[in-house]
Amino acid sequence: MLRYILKRLIAGVLTVIVLITISFFLMHMMPGGPFSPSEQKNVPPELLARVAAKYGLDRPVGEQYIEYWKNLLRGDFGISYKKLDTTVNETIAYGFPISMRVGLVAVILSLVVGIPLGVIAAIRRAKLWDLSAMAFATIGISVPVFVISILLMYLFAGVLQWLPTYGLASWRHYILPVACLTFTPIAYIARQTRSSMLEALEQDYVRTARAKGLRESAVVLKHALKNAIMPVVMYLGPLVAELLTGSFVVEKLFSVPGIGRYFVQSINDRDYTMVLGITIFFGIFVIVCNLIVDIVYALIDPRVKISE
Amino acid sequence: MPLLEVENLFAEFHIGVGTVQAVRGVSFTLDEGESLGIVGESGSGKSVTMLAATGLLPDYAAVSADKVLFDGKDVLKMTGKELRRLHGGEIGMVFQDPMTSLNPLFTIGNQLSEPLRLHKNLSRPEARERAAELLKLTNIPDAGDRLKQYPHEFSGGMRQRVMIAMAIACNPKLVIADEPTTALDVTIQAQILELLSDLKRKLNTSVIMITHDLGVIASMCARILVMYGGIVCEQGTAREIFRDPRHPYTWGLLNSIPRHLDGERRKLEPIPGTPPDMLAPPPGCPFAPRCRYRMPVCDRFGAPETVLSDTHRVSCHLMHANAPKGVRP
Amino acid sequence: MNTQRNIPDAASYAALPKELFEPSSASQRDNELISRPSVTYWQDVWRRFRRDPLAVGGLFLILVLAIMAIVIPMVSPYTYSGMDLSSMNQGPTWRHPAGTDQMGRDQFIRILYGARISLSIGVVAAIINFLIGVVYGGVSGYLGGRADMIMMRIVDILISLPQLLYIVLIMLVLGSNMFSVILALCFASWTRTARVVRSEAMRLKHSEYVLAARLSGAKAAHILRKHLIPNAMGPIIVSTAFLIPNAIFSEAFLSFLGIGIQAPMASWGTLANDAIPTLLSNPHMMLFPVLMICVTMFSFNFIGDGLRDALDPRLKR
Repeated sequence: MLRYILKRLIAGVLTVIVLITISFFLMHMMPGGPFSPSEQKNVPPELLARVAAKYGLDRPVGEQYIEYWKNLLRGDFGISYKKLDTTVNETIAYGFPISMRVGLVAVILSLVVGIPLGVIAAIRRAKLWDLSAMAFATIGISVPVFVISILLMYLFAGVLQWLPTYGLASWRHYILPVACLTFTPIAYIARQTRSSMLEALEQDYVRTARAKGLRESAVVLKHALKNAIMPVVMYLGPLVAELLTGSFVVEKLFSVPGIGRYFVQSINDRDYTMVLGITIFFGIFVIVCNLIVDIVYALIDPRVKISE
Repeated sequence: MPLLEVENLFAEFHIGVGTVQAVRGVSFTLDEGESLGIVGESGSGKSVTMLAATGLLPDYAAVSADKVLFDGKDVLKMTGKELRRLHGGEIGMVFQDPMTSLNPLFTIGNQLSEPLRLHKNLSRPEARERAAELLKLTNIPDAGDRLKQYPHEFSGGMRQRVMIAMAIACNPKLVIADEPTTALDVTIQAQILELLSDLKRKLNTSVIMITHDLGVIASMCARILVMYGGIVCEQGTAREIFRDPRHPYTWGLLNSIPRHLDGERRKLEPIPGTPPDMLAPPPGCPFAPRCRYRMPVCDRFGAPETVLSDTHRVSCHLMHANAPKGVRP
Repeated sequence: MNTQRNIPDAASYAALPKELFEPSSASQRDNELISRPSVTYWQDVWRRFRRDPLAVGGLFLILVLAIMAIVIPMVSPYTYSGMDLSSMNQGPTWRHPAGTDQMGRDQFIRILYGARISLSIGVVAAIINFLIGVVYGGVSGYLGGRADMIMMRIVDILISLPQLLYIVLIMLVLGSNMFSVILALCFASWTRTARVVRSEAMRLKHSEYVLAARLSGAKAAHILRKHLIPNAMGPIIVSTAFLIPNAIFSEAFLSFLGIGIQAPMASWGTLANDAIPTLLSNPHMMLFPVLMICVTMFSFNFIGDGLRDALDPRLKR
C-alpha cells in the first residue's frame, strides 16, 4: 500500500515538474508578454522594473527558469504584470477559499444526488424512473456549463426573479452557481452509476449472493453497489478538473469573486505572469486531488495493491 | 416422501425478438441423500431447469409446472421471504466459475458469514468461528488467516472450495453443483469431486450435479438425467444409462468419450451438427436433425415417455411398436 | 403446453401409421444448417445503428445543419457583416428568423456562418486528434515494453491536467484565430484516443491472426495498418465520435470566455458571449446560438451513443 502511494506521489511530482516547465516556456513564447522585448515598451517603467527584478528578465532563459523554480519552492507564485501592487499569492489567497466553498458544495451535491439517481434507475430499469432519469442525464451531459448557466440565470433570476445572481452574500446566492456547476456532473455520475450497476447486477457474484438467500436490498446495496461505485470514484479526479473549468464560466456570469474569475480576467488583460502563476497553482491543486482520489480508490479496491 | 418432485416444468425467457423456450416439460424426482446427475450440452436447459425449480430465475422468466415440491412445499407459490429462506438455508448452490462467483471487494470471511448470520442468526464472532470450521471441512489450510483474505488471493481450486463451504454452511438438505469443475484443471477437478463426495457422505445431503462431462457423472451420481433441447431424453440409474442406454443422444454421448479400451485405437466420434435454436425449437423431437436413426415421425411429433423400469425412462420414437426393432448404437 | 412439443396422446400415438417410422435418408443434410443468414460486420453495425431513433435523428439533424450552413449563406440576401441600421435589436420575424443584433446584422446568417466555423473546427480537430491518437496509441501498444511505458507515462502526465488550461495557454501563445483554436484543441484530446487505441492494440496483438502475419514476415507497420487498426476500429470510432462535441464545446467555451474566435468572425460561442450584456432585454440573441450549440452537441452525442451500441457485438439482438 505504501509503495502504491509512493509511486503515485512520484508520478504527481513528475507531472508538476512537466507542467511548470511547459507553462514557463509557453509564457516565453507569448507575443506581448513580459518576456518578449517588443512589448516591454508598452508597459509603465515601474511595473517593468518590478517584474524584471522578480523574474530576472535580463538574464538568459535557463537562469530565469531556475529563478522561477526557486521562487516556487519558497511558495511564491509570482507577481502581477499589469497591476502594480498585486501578487499572485494574494490573489490566490483571496479567491481560492471562495471558490472552494462553492466547489465543495458542488462535489458533495453531485455525489449525493447522482449516485442514488443512478442506482434507482438501474433497479427500476426501463420503467418511468429510469427513462426520465436517463433522459435528464443525456441532456446534462450534452449541455455545456455556460449554456446551462445562461438558461438558469435567465429563467430564475430574469424571468421568475426568485434567486439572486450577484455574488455570494447569502445561502440563496449559492443555489444558482452550484446548480450550474453540478448539472453536468450529476448527469454523468447518474449515468455511470446506472450502467455500472446494471453490469454489476449481471455478475456471477450477485447470482451467488441471491443463491445465499440475501435480501434484495443487501444484494443491491452491499454487493452490487460497492463494485459499481468504482468508476464513480475514478471520476472524482476529472470531476475536480471539470468543476475548476466550470468555475471560470460560473464565476464570470454570477460575479463570484473566486479564483476562476481572476484567472479569466487576467487572461483577458493579458496579465501573463498572473496567468502563469494561477495556472501552476491550478495544476498542483488538480494533481493533489488526483492523488487523494487514487488513495481512496486503493482503499476500496483490495486488488489494486497487488497489481501495482 | 421425495425431497424434490418436479413434474412438467416449463421455463421461458421473453427477450426482444421472441421467447426462448429453455425448459419444455421436464419431470424427475430426488430422494433424500440421493445424488442425481444432469448431463447435456450447453443450451440443453440443464442449468435453467434447476434454477427454475428452486425459484432462482429472474422476473422476466416465465416458469410453470404441474408440480414443483421441495420437501413437500410448493416452490412456485412461495413468497419472496420463503424463497430466500430456502436459498442458502435448505438449498446450497455451487456455480461454475469460482473466479467470478465471489465478490472481489469483500473478504472471504465476510462472504462466508453472510448466510450463517442470515439463516442461523449467529453473531459475528460465532459466524467467524463457524466459517473457519467450514474452511477446515473443505480442506483449506490456515483457515483463520484465510478468512481475512480476498478472493483474488486464492487459487481457482481454493475458491471453489470456498464456494462449496458457502453452499454447505447452513447444512442444507440439497446441494446443487452447476458445472463445478468445468473451469478448473483436471487435477484440481478430481480433488473437488472427491471433496463433494466426502461431504455428501458426512452430511447426508442430496446432491444434484449438473455437467456436460460423463466422466464426472460416472464417479459421483447414482441416477442420471440426460437432457437435450430443453427436454429429458432419458433418465435412469447410472448402471442403466451406462450399460443399457436407449436414446440415440445418450449413445452419441457415450460414443464421444475418448477411450483406449483394449489398447485399440478408435476414431473420435462426435455427434454431427449443432444444438437447436431455442427461440424456435423444432416441432418434433429436438434431437431429430442430428439423429442417425431419424424417422419422419421424429420431425412431426415429440416422443412420449416410455417406462422401461421403475427407474429407467426414455423419450424416443424408436420405442414405438412400428419402429425398427433392435436398433442399437 | 404439451402442444409445444407436439406429443400425441396415447391412443393417437399407438395409431400412427408405419410410413412415419421408415428411417430417413435425408437426415444428415440438415446437420450443418445455419439458422440465420450471415451478414458482414459493417452491414450489421449499420442495421443496428438504423434502429436507434435518437442516433438516426442526430445524424439527420447534423446533415441538415451542414447543408444549410453551406447553401443558405450563398443564396441569402443578407451577409454577416451587412448592417441595416433601420432594424436593430429586433426579435425573430419572417425577414430575420433569428432577429437582429444591435448593429442591425441579421442573426440567422451569422448563426449559419457560426455553424460553418464551429462545425469545421469540431470535425477537423476531431480528425486530427484521431490521427495523432491512433498513430501514437497504435505504435505504443504494438511496441510494448519500455517504449510503451515511456509513451504512456507521457500520456498519463498530460491527461492528469485539465485540458482547458493547456488550451488557454496555447491560445495565448498562438493568438486567437481559427487555426490556433484547432491547433490548441488538438493538443488536448488526442491523449484519450491514444489510450483507447493502445489498449485495443495490446489486446489484439496477441491474437492468432497477428501471429500468423508475423510468421509470414509482415513488417510492424503493415500489421498495424492491415490487422490491428481495422479490428480496433469499433472503440476508436466511438471515442472519435465523442471528440467532435468535445471540440465544439471547447471552442465555444473559449470564445465565451473571450479568448477564442474574435470579432468580426463569429462562432456560436462568440455570439453567445456578445449577447451576455443584453441577456434580459434581448434574450433571443443569446437563445439562438446557445440552442444551436446544444442541438449540435446532443446530436453528436446521440450519434456516438448509437455507434457505441451498434458496434458492441455483445448486444446482438
